[in-house]
Amino acid sequence: MTKRYVLVHDENKCIGCQACNVACRSENNVPESVTRLQVRIEGPYGNFPHLHFKYNRVSCEQCENAPCVKVCPTGAAYVNDDGIVSINEGKCVGCLYCVAACPYKVRFINPETRVPDKCDFCKESRLARGEEPACVSVCPTDALTFGDANDLNSEVRKLLDTKQNYQQKVNLGTEPRVYRIPSRRGGIKA
Amino acid sequence: MNNIWGSMEQYDPVVWNWIIAVYLFMAGLSAGSMLVAIGLKWYKQSRGLPTEGLPVIKAAAVIGPVAICLGMALLVLDLTKPFEFYHILLNYNLTSVMAWGVIALLVYIPLVFVFAALVFEKQVLHFAPWLAGVLKVCRQLEGSLNKLIFALALGVGVYTGFLLSAMISYPILNTAVLPALFLASAMSVGSAGNILVATLFFSKKESDCIEQVHRIEYPVAFNEALCLVLLFVGLNFSGPAAQAATAAITTGAWASVFWIGVVGLGLVVPVLASTLAPKAWRHTKGFLITVSCSTILGVLALRHFVVYAGQSYIS
Ligand code: SF4
Ligand code: SF4
Repeated sequence: MTKRYVLVHDENKCIGCQACNVACRSENNVPESVTRLQVRIEGPYGNFPHLHFKYNRVSCEQCENAPCVKVCPTGAAYVNDDGIVSINEGKCVGCLYCVAACPYKVRFINPETRVPDKCDFCKESRLARGEEPACVSVCPTDALTFGDANDLNSEVRKLLDTKQNYQQKVNLGTEPRVYRIPSRRGGIKA
Repeated sequence: MNNIWGSMEQYDPVVWNWIIAVYLFMAGLSAGSMLVAIGLKWYKQSRGLPTEGLPVIKAAAVIGPVAICLGMALLVLDLTKPFEFYHILLNYNLTSVMAWGVIALLVYIPLVFVFAALVFEKQVLHFAPWLAGVLKVCRQLEGSLNKLIFALALGVGVYTGFLLSAMISYPILNTAVLPALFLASAMSVGSAGNILVATLFFSKKESDCIEQVHRIEYPVAFNEALCLVLLFVGLNFSGPAAQAATAAITTGAWASVFWIGVVGLGLVVPVLASTLAPKAWRHTKGFLITVSCSTILGVLALRHFVVYAGQSYIS
């Protein structure tokens, strides 16, 4: 695997405007009833008057050790050369094992193809043309940064080397490739 | 509710539903009834007793193939692409428990039909005399075939548990106890199913083999109860998410299913019935039918509880 595409979501810069969500929908022709990407506004956290919200991006984490790939009986869920977790529609029987096994709950059945669907970093459209994923390019606050972490000079690499960051559910050993820069604001449960 | 970020419907953590629960039940029933019947056969043979025409073995020869075929039919219908299920027979990803299950079932299913054909040899030959040659060969191999079926039935029983425990983010499912629990409960539903079908269709007089099947019920029920205790005690020591999941047996609708169905019908009723019931009742048809139905419902409840409550708590 030569590429190691990662996505960094800066939770300080994010304002939860859903521009990424909408851009994803139109770029990838996601049917109305389902979605590949949400930014959930969680909270408020902290105590009055120091209240703040958390902006939680929910989309495929492109796990390096992907449970969805491991459980798929036919190999329809697989990892591409670029490290992107992909789906071979022809091999899929729709057993939903991958949907159930994904710890981030980001797989869904596409009502049109009857096959699991999820974020693929726009690999067939924008990435193939050398562009960034739709969500990244449309973000008004530049909260999203995308790139190849194997490239020492890439922006993502610099960001991750210099800023505090975390990944979700690391204890499960999935090694997600979505990194998050946590909100600087603190707080303790009331 | 309307969120700015859209509908939450597709994020329902319960992905596999009652169809899968019934499939897991059917697979357990088939495997369990085979294990009990073959075990009984070996027990009798080792004592030099005849095994021909035992009602419990006849019952297993019916339950074994019928239950697994019904289960498979449900499973295929539940796929989002049922007409393309053959892909699962052509492509195998060996890190997937389901792929191993498919391999085991591919061998198991034809063999239980052979088992049934040997038990009902006369009837089969009456309708299909052309099978005589094949059955003769099978009869010669019967000893090895039974060992193979026994091993595969163990595999099928255990695999249904591993199928769920491979899902790493559900604390109730992601434990090593689950396969053991499923195997133990498969044995209890298998013996109950054998007794039920045997009393309903095959036994003419009160039969001693039912007594022997009864005898394995205690250790099996004990193991099942032990696995349940281990499961929930284990959760209590495995971090906050797992601890939160123990609420599955204290609150909500699935807690009632657990206490009334799994513990009550599945464990308490059968054990009390066979310890406290007066001797005179124990071999009456009504008693046998009631107790085995209770066990069967208990195991059905267990599969539903594990599938639903298991998926409701995510870490
Ligand atoms: S986030 Fe879910 S769908 Fe994406 S790679 Fe990980 S397990 Fe698979
Ligand atoms: S639904 Fe398709 S991709 Fe997912 S595990 Fe089943 S066969 Fe594989």
